[in-house]
Amino acid sequence: MKGYALRQLVQLAVVVVGISMLAFAILHVIGDPVLLLLPQNAGREEYERYHKLLGLDRPLYVQYWKFASQAVRGDFGKSWYTDTPAFGLVLQRMPPTIYLTLAGLGVALLIALPLGILAALKRHSAVDNFCTLIAVAGQAMPIFWLGIMLIILFAVRLHVLPASGYGTWQQFLMPAFTLGAFLAPLTMRLVRSGVIEVMNMEYIKTARAKGVDERMVVAKHAFRNACIPVITVLGIQFGQLLGGAIITETVFAWPGVATLTVDSIRNQDFPVVQCAVVLLALVIVVVNFAVDMVVGLIDPRIRVSA
Amino acid sequence: MIGMLSILAVLLLTLSPGIAPDSTAQTKDDTLVYALQSDIDTWDPPNSVLREAIILGYNVFDHLAVRDLKTRKVVPHLATSWKALDDTTWEVKLRQGVKFHDGSPFTARDVKASFDRVLDPTKKMTARGNHAKIKSVEIVDDYTVRFHTDGPYPLFVERLTALVMASDKVIREKGHEWMQEHPIGTGPYKLLKWDRKQEHLLVRNDDYWGPKPAFKYVRIRIIPEQATQIAELLSGGVDIIKAVPPDQMDVISKSGQARVSVSPILRTAMLQLDQAARGGPNPFTDRRIRQAANLSTDMDGIIKHVLNGLGDRTATAINPMAFGWDPSVKPYKQDIGDAKKLLAEAGYPNGIDIVFNEGPPVVEPGLRQTDEAIAADLTKAGFRVKQNYIGDNTVVVARIKEGKQGPMFDFSWGYYSVFDADAILYDIFKCGETYSYYCNPALDDLIIQGRSTLDQKKRTEVYAKAQRLLFDDAAYVYKWGLRGVWGLSNRINYEAPPDEVDRMFLVTPRQK
Repeated sequence: MKGYALRQLVQLAVVVVGISMLAFAILHVIGDPVLLLLPQNAGREEYERYHKLLGLDRPLYVQYWKFASQAVRGDFGKSWYTDTPAFGLVLQRMPPTIYLTLAGLGVALLIALPLGILAALKRHSAVDNFCTLIAVAGQAMPIFWLGIMLIILFAVRLHVLPASGYGTWQQFLMPAFTLGAFLAPLTMRLVRSGVIEVMNMEYIKTARAKGVDERMVVAKHAFRNACIPVITVLGIQFGQLLGGAIITETVFAWPGVATLTVDSIRNQDFPVVQCAVVLLALVIVVVNFAVDMVVGLIDPRIRVSA
Repeated sequence: MIGMLSILAVLLLTLSPGIAPDSTAQTKDDTLVYALQSDIDTWDPPNSVLREAIILGYNVFDHLAVRDLKTRKVVPHLATSWKALDDTTWEVKLRQGVKFHDGSPFTARDVKASFDRVLDPTKKMTARGNHAKIKSVEIVDDYTVRFHTDGPYPLFVERLTALVMASDKVIREKGHEWMQEHPIGTGPYKLLKWDRKQEHLLVRNDDYWGPKPAFKYVRIRIIPEQATQIAELLSGGVDIIKAVPPDQMDVISKSGQARVSVSPILRTAMLQLDQAARGGPNPFTDRRIRQAANLSTDMDGIIKHVLNGLGDRTATAINPMAFGWDPSVKPYKQDIGDAKKLLAEAGYPNGIDIVFNEGPPVVEPGLRQTDEAIAADLTKAGFRVKQNYIGDNTVVVARIKEGKQGPMFDFSWGYYSVFDADAILYDIFKCGETYSYYCNPALDDLIIQGRSTLDQKKRTEVYAKAQRLLFDDAAYVYKWGLRGVWGLSNRINYEAPPDEVDRMFLVTPRQK
């Protein structure tokens, strides 16, 4: 297990460095930030003065080296727009996004687990068909559209929830549901097929033969084994969930790191984008690492063969 | 798995108190809520390019002069009077008894410090270019300052509305970085707190020297999505929203909760033509073809039917609200026959192929729809238009600046809130300027004349000539002055401001 973990950690570091280089390269390709930083009526002289001030006149590798050597010390430079440290800006916006993704994940599981198991146990019944219908509808519904529909229904028509914003538990409900609804269909299908597969296994027959209560068979023997692919896919889906968070945050005016990143890319605020990309990559990579470890714990075959 | 779920639940529960709501004591009745689409970058207005930063700055800082919204003239504010001592010296008298939010008095030292700060070329201040004509600021006494300019500077008074007065003490003792988040002004509101990308809370400055605002608190909420803003307005969560799309105006006015308020704004839209051949040889270097383009489009019809009347036709690019506008120059009227004749004269009796570079509707409402209508009109006259849409405004702006957006493209100019013909002529029509795709020495001569004298009568005459020339030479295809659409909740009295600067201190509650 130790060697396995170590190898995973080395891969982590390589991934994060690779991503930071990629982000750096892409940012420099998409355009000249000084054009955006200055008022439209600024003259050439102002333009050149700014180029120098930001260090953009130096060769690319010098700029990257400067960035990387400072970044390892936690210094991502100052945002070109706000003149405040980029690290602080990103860190401050991290919690709302993490809460949102966790809540979305929670909602997805609350929907997917019971429905998925139910669909598997009552295969090809009306219940199963109903669950498939929900899954297809959920998959087909854009996050954006669902969010707006919820707002129109619960805020504008019924006046029971605030339309947007961040801070109270009421403001949590619609965004969490929107994001959860995005992840739930896939998870539900996975749970369903996982449980179906496991229910045909020999050890389930054995358990039944021993006279174990059917509920216990499902909860203990079947579910635990069906979990493995679900956890793995949820780990991979975490990145997707952050992507969904961008849209959810935008619709519900949620002050998270996802919208900060998109805004900063639009403004070509290099230090903030760099910092956000590296930190988000770290989060995703750490989550995947954690998932690998958890799966290894649940399923001894993996850690042994690895 | 049940264990995992409960861990998740516990995690969520323990996290939620950490995001507890604001505990301020304000009630709905004494709080005005204002929505912005994106957050400001800094509370240091001269260090920002965002209009939002200028707007918020207006509520917390004061300027030496401000625009009177009724007469649209510039009137004294922290200055009490100004006069030109000679062509390059202005003397400004200051208001007495004004205090900054930290209690220190406002004097000539603060004026000098504010200007010196923005003029310092070693500092990263985006507004520097707007004030660079000022060479130095001299303190005469505590309440008198003299500005020395580099040559005659007729926009001096206009530009006094564009720089906030910061405190000398704060600049020296707290410094640049601190000022990015802590505005210490003399204005009617003070900043209480700022949650980035989420909201700002302002509280009334009870020591304000001028009339006190009606609302004790102003909450500025950042709501990126327009549909959400409208939903908030209709459900009573927000009082003021801006940039309402034309097709949503009815939804708002029929809600019973809110209404729309429309105002012409200082921004003119046009199709720029590459007369200067910045992108190489192209048909629009020929005046007849530029005139034909102007003659083939029915702008009045487009304003009426496509924009629901949200536009004011202009004869050239000079906005009717700007100083120097000449009402005697009348706009082109559609005449397909004449347009075809001109094309034939120019050597294209069978029509001509044209690329039309279109941009996203970032500042112009309904841009895509009006572009379609314009392209259809041009086609009728024999222009075979190839529409090329570029959806990313960053790319569009970069291409325009680099001279690559010709031969014909969408453009609009907001004058940087300077209500003067010079504020568009210099940037958009002068040879060699970043945004100009037109070059005509005769016009350059007029532009220079206009900015080298303080005699307003002479300037009016110069700009009348310039407009006649721009019209006859059909420099670009002229469209219209834009109108802004605000959405206002029915619990407040307010009107859309023509300079797009929302003054929260002018909003009053409606009598119930």
